[in-house]
Amino acid sequence: MSSGKIRLNTDWLCDCGGCHVALVDLHEKILQVLESVQIQHCPVLTDIKDYPEAEIGILTGSIRTEHDRHAAEKMRETCKTIIAFGTCAVYGGLHGAGLAHSREEIMEHVYQKSPTTRTDTLPDTDVSKLEKLVTPVDEVIDVDLYLPGCPPHAHYIFESLKSLIENRKPVAGQDSVCGRCARQMVRGDATAIKNSLDGIPDENICFMSQGYICLGSATLDRCLSPCPNHGIACTGCAGPTMQILSEPYLDIRSEVSERMSRLTAIERETIKTHMEKTAKTQYAYAMATKMIGSKPTFLIKKWIADVEAG
Amino acid sequence: MAKTIHIDPVTRIEGHARILLECDDSGSVEEAFFIVNELRGFERILVGMEAHTLPQITARICGVCPTAHHLAAAKALDDAAGVEPPPAAKLMRELMYMGHFIHSHALSLYILAGPDLVFGLHGDTATQNVVGMVEKNPELTRKGLRMRSIGQKINEVVGGRGIHPVTAIAGGVAVKLSDAQYSRLQELTTEAVELAAELVPLSKELLLRLLDDNPVLLEQLNVPSWYLGTVNSSGTLNVYDGTLRAMDEQGEIRAEFTAAQYQDYLVERTVSRSYAKEVYLDIDSAEHMYRVSTLARMNVADGIETERAQREFEEFRSRFGRPCHNAVVQMYCKLVELVYACERADEIINNPELRGESRVAARFSGGRGVGHVEAPRGVLVHDYQIDENGIVRGANMIVATQQNTAAINKSLKEGAINLLDGGDEKLLNGLEFVVRCYDPCLACSTHALGRMELDIEVISGNETIRRLRRN
Repeated sequence: MSSGKIRLNTDWLCDCGGCHVALVDLHEKILQVLESVQIQHCPVLTDIKDYPEAEIGILTGSIRTEHDRHAAEKMRETCKTIIAFGTCAVYGGLHGAGLAHSREEIMEHVYQKSPTTRTDTLPDTDVSKLEKLVTPVDEVIDVDLYLPGCPPHAHYIFESLKSLIENRKPVAGQDSVCGRCARQMVRGDATAIKNSLDGIPDENICFMSQGYICLGSATLDRCLSPCPNHGIACTGCAGPTMQILSEPYLDIRSEVSERMSRLTAIERETIKTHMEKTAKTQYAYAMATKMIGSKPTFLIKKWIADVEAG
Repeated sequence: MAKTIHIDPVTRIEGHARILLECDDSGSVEEAFFIVNELRGFERILVGMEAHTLPQITARICGVCPTAHHLAAAKALDDAAGVEPPPAAKLMRELMYMGHFIHSHALSLYILAGPDLVFGLHGDTATQNVVGMVEKNPELTRKGLRMRSIGQKINEVVGGRGIHPVTAIAGGVAVKLSDAQYSRLQELTTEAVELAAELVPLSKELLLRLLDDNPVLLEQLNVPSWYLGTVNSSGTLNVYDGTLRAMDEQGEIRAEFTAAQYQDYLVERTVSRSYAKEVYLDIDSAEHMYRVSTLARMNVADGIETERAQREFEEFRSRFGRPCHNAVVQMYCKLVELVYACERADEIINNPELRGESRVAARFSGGRGVGHVEAPRGVLVHDYQIDENGIVRGANMIVATQQNTAAINKSLKEGAINLLDGGDEKLLNGLEFVVRCYDPCLACSTHALGRMELDIEVISGNETIRRLRRN
């Protein structure tokens, strides 16, 4: 081990791999980080297969199998500070939508109902069994720092690593995605909710003002707001703002419907009902976390079942 | 009494997996399995979602090739809505995609496989990584990292984000390029073409040395199979759009079909030991093991439409023939495609049509849509059923890595037969290298993958005889 360097382990649980790619995507800056950090266990960068002791541990992905659970525990045992990195680790992520379906239903759909699959069997030997639910990391081990984002922007990744190296608090605001969105919030006259393919939205006006659902005001900025600045309404990929997480009767749909009703001629209740009907889309990234799931008004399984029944 | 060998985890590939070797009583390898140990179940998760968000949602199937999923989804939505995006939109999507190809191939060549190139196959584990590479070969490493960074910037300028881009939608692309973005992209593509010219000879030299130093690997990785890849109407390489061409072991072209016909030609089979399904080509009433990815594309294409890449392609073909069955050569193929992606990006940015209208109105009236692209690791098909309210009612996907599973297993078996009597370290390194040659992306192949773990276990009957883990 080189002397004086901060030791880093990373591991990758159930996710798409994008968070690890994001780490490598510090590009030339990765070399700057490497001057102070020694990367040990890191599945995309090194061949080290055990878990050496480390000051920092980065965990990406959520817990889907026994194997993931074991890896998370190993990381906790060996790392002084654990960062839950990326939306999957913090909130469960997109495959957290697996929450709405039993594991049997998922397996049956993928292996037996697929139109191109000729076999009628399930993988059942030598694979880790799926756990009943998709679980964010902090429901299994203690987490010291949270960095949501799908993936978090390099700006925030670099800041978080740098602050740990310099032994100071990271500078990470609690603004919503609206904070860096260049669109103007104005009172519009939309009378009906549109989806992104209805008409062509004005590029300078807030999506909500024009009648499009945008989750920007309910979503934490860990991305620098690229979507609304590139013609696409926010889909909430970094998860809800702190305010929504901490207040039991505040929620993604209540927050968005409240604000959007003030910006349009659409009733709050209409927007809220629409968001319940499209709950699988609106809660795509964060439905697996208890912080959302245990809210008294949150009935996602029912909303999804109603839509699927047609 | 049979025995099993496990290798856990296979590092430096995207995702994690294990290898299992099954031996007979005399200790010779009967079967080898590449085990993918994670499942997310996107085909189920997508049902019930609003279809217009699928390009953003399905990008999350894979953080390594998100742009491939993003564009396959947008194309499937174009199809479902029955619209044709305007020429500018197609060019913008392809430009975004060239950026992604540069980024992805540079990752494989210079970060994941880079240590094998720089240190050979038997380097010290502690330095066998990008950090060690910087010390040993700073020029190659820095240029490789710069190339990757240029690719990601092109992807990001057009796609809004690099990892999980967002701008492609049904009917086109949601933004137009500003003058500032346009000039920025011109600088980037010019630099990419120049950098490729510097990187190619450096990389080729290392690659050929690696092949010379390891003749055994070259022989044992010669696994004949069929190939599937995409070509233009003139038979040349195209990764954004075109016809799927199937070639047999002898190099005969046996079928050409559109993405919409994929169900008539591709069949999946569940295997008991892995979450990733195997895929076969069903042609002339028989199922054929086939491969996708760079090697497959080099085999099925008659040429490449950009100048320097065509030169590299010709050199490749004169060295390795057609079809070339050797998986080790994939790295060489990536180099050829890297040159193509840089040149093609530069061609697109200088095409005046790029600045035209970028979207047409699109609406779902109930029906099916199929879209396909060549992901960096091979053919990718998205197939959706969408109802008249724009809600997804069914989804099926064929992803790149799963199509190579059968061939990976066959190569592992060949490799293990040769390496089993050597030391543990040799077996571990050798088999890991075999897997890495296929460059599997596990996130994709279970739409799902998580762990690329390498744990070699030798089983005989139900008993584990030998278990290898590197510590």
